[in-house]
Amino acid sequence: MNEAAIANAKRGFSFYARIYRKILVQDLKSKMSYRADFIISTFGMIMTNTVGFMSFYILFKNFPSINGWNYHEMLFLYGFSLIALTPLQCLFDNNWSLRYSVESGDFIKYCFRPINIFFYFISEVFDVKGLGQLVFGVAVLSYAWSSLAIPVTVGTLCLLVLLLITASLFMIAIMNFAAATCFWMLRSGYVMILMFRFKDYARYPASIFDGLFRIIFTFVIPIAFIAYYPGLVILHPDNIPLLSKLSPVIGVLFFWLSYKFWMLGATRYDGTGS
Amino acid sequence: MNARKYLALTRAGIIQELQFRMGTFITVLGNLIYLTLVYFLWRSIYASSPTPVVNGMTFNDTIIYLVLATALFNFLEMYLVWNISRKIQSGEIVMDLLKPMSYRKLMFFTFFGDNITTFFLTFLPTFIVVFILTKGAIPVGTNLIWFVISVGGALLVNYFIDFFVSTISLYTESTWGINIVKESIVLLFSGATIPLVFFPEKLRVVVKCLPFRCIYDTPLNILLQKDGYTPGSGMWTMLGLQLVWCVALCALTGIFWNFSVRRITVNGG
Repeated sequence: MNEAAIANAKRGFSFYARIYRKILVQDLKSKMSYRADFIISTFGMIMTNTVGFMSFYILFKNFPSINGWNYHEMLFLYGFSLIALTPLQCLFDNNWSLRYSVESGDFIKYCFRPINIFFYFISEVFDVKGLGQLVFGVAVLSYAWSSLAIPVTVGTLCLLVLLLITASLFMIAIMNFAAATCFWMLRSGYVMILMFRFKDYARYPASIFDGLFRIIFTFVIPIAFIAYYPGLVILHPDNIPLLSKLSPVIGVLFFWLSYKFWMLGATRYDGTGS
Repeated sequence: MNARKYLALTRAGIIQELQFRMGTFITVLGNLIYLTLVYFLWRSIYASSPTPVVNGMTFNDTIIYLVLATALFNFLEMYLVWNISRKIQSGEIVMDLLKPMSYRKLMFFTFFGDNITTFFLTFLPTFIVVFILTKGAIPVGTNLIWFVISVGGALLVNYFIDFFVSTISLYTESTWGINIVKESIVLLFSGATIPLVFFPEKLRVVVKCLPFRCIYDTPLNILLQKDGYTPGSGMWTMLGLQLVWCVALCALTGIFWNFSVRRITVNGG
């Protein structure tokens, strides 16, 4: 075994964690130099969440329940989905610039580094304003939690964290797929914008869909897993459907598939020639 | 007035848009899926409601309204704020400022070609499908003419709001934040996500004083001949209001842009 191979073998978790920390620090430093942008972005994050909440509130002012779900249960799903979307916002935000760097040819620089392309590309940006959404989500979820009088135990809290991580994997996977379409087609921005709009419907119970669309929104565009299936585990603990129990496995599977799809695109990328 | 240069820009926009047929196909397909989400959500909302008519809207009314609002969104949204602020950050805007026409007109006619193409490729098909599916729930008459005129007004109001917000980004160098604030406010207060009749009374009073309602609320309600939007009951007021907002916003963006463009700083070249 030569030295390079030995170095390669050592590249475990700690190697990537060290690199991630270094890239993160650089990113935050460069963000600090655009302070106005940071403040406005944070304000923007708060605004979209406030407006999102207002539309939710207006809807419930007119209709007391949706499909047998009352206001507080829906609020629970709403808060849950916001928290579950935070990892996507904070850690995977660079997917949004993938198509620009692919079309301009800049993407080639990621191909020449001796580390995982996906890891390197994604780690380049940490989106701080996503934390605003997290705060909003935690506030909504805690309010709904206490209104529904769900007991707080160490067990349920651990379960909650596990479920949130699971749920976040689904949306990350959807956006990985959407972003990677730019390796095959021009103007793929629309795909991402459309997919991102779907997330607003993740907060409604998937029981509103029936037939073919129930299957589509569970297994093809899996928004039902972002709040509904994991949320049921805590909301209705005595009647948990099989899909809720399987959601961690399905989440990992979806994420893995999206990663493979993304990498497939990245490896067949051959620059723009300039 | 030299109309030829504007025509050339519009034509280029149409040709460019037609180049990306795959993109159009994906947009139409994605929209269909998105609309099924809207359909299922409101179907279950109305199924849970004790009365079939809520705030003067039946399920059919609401669905037609929301489907056409989505189609209108695709046709109106040109991501102008996004485009201009990217140009400001990259410095590309300098090349546009050198061109022998006002920046506001240049941008308008560049995207106007896009508007025309998407109107025929996405709005019109959606309209026809909705019309057939609902078996004539959309009234047909002179309201179609007023609807088209009102969409023209909506296009202008939307453009001026976008342009105003883009001008702000000359100062802030912020793209995402400014854009997301604009988008969320416009979509809610224009009645694009929830029809304005569902709003609580107090909020509705505020929303009525804002220009955003001209973009979705006015044209769609004129099309559906809702109370307060028919020729006999206030349609003229609504169209007049659109005109007033057009003129006011036109003047405002003009002043704001001319004042701000002097401040522009572009790094390097």
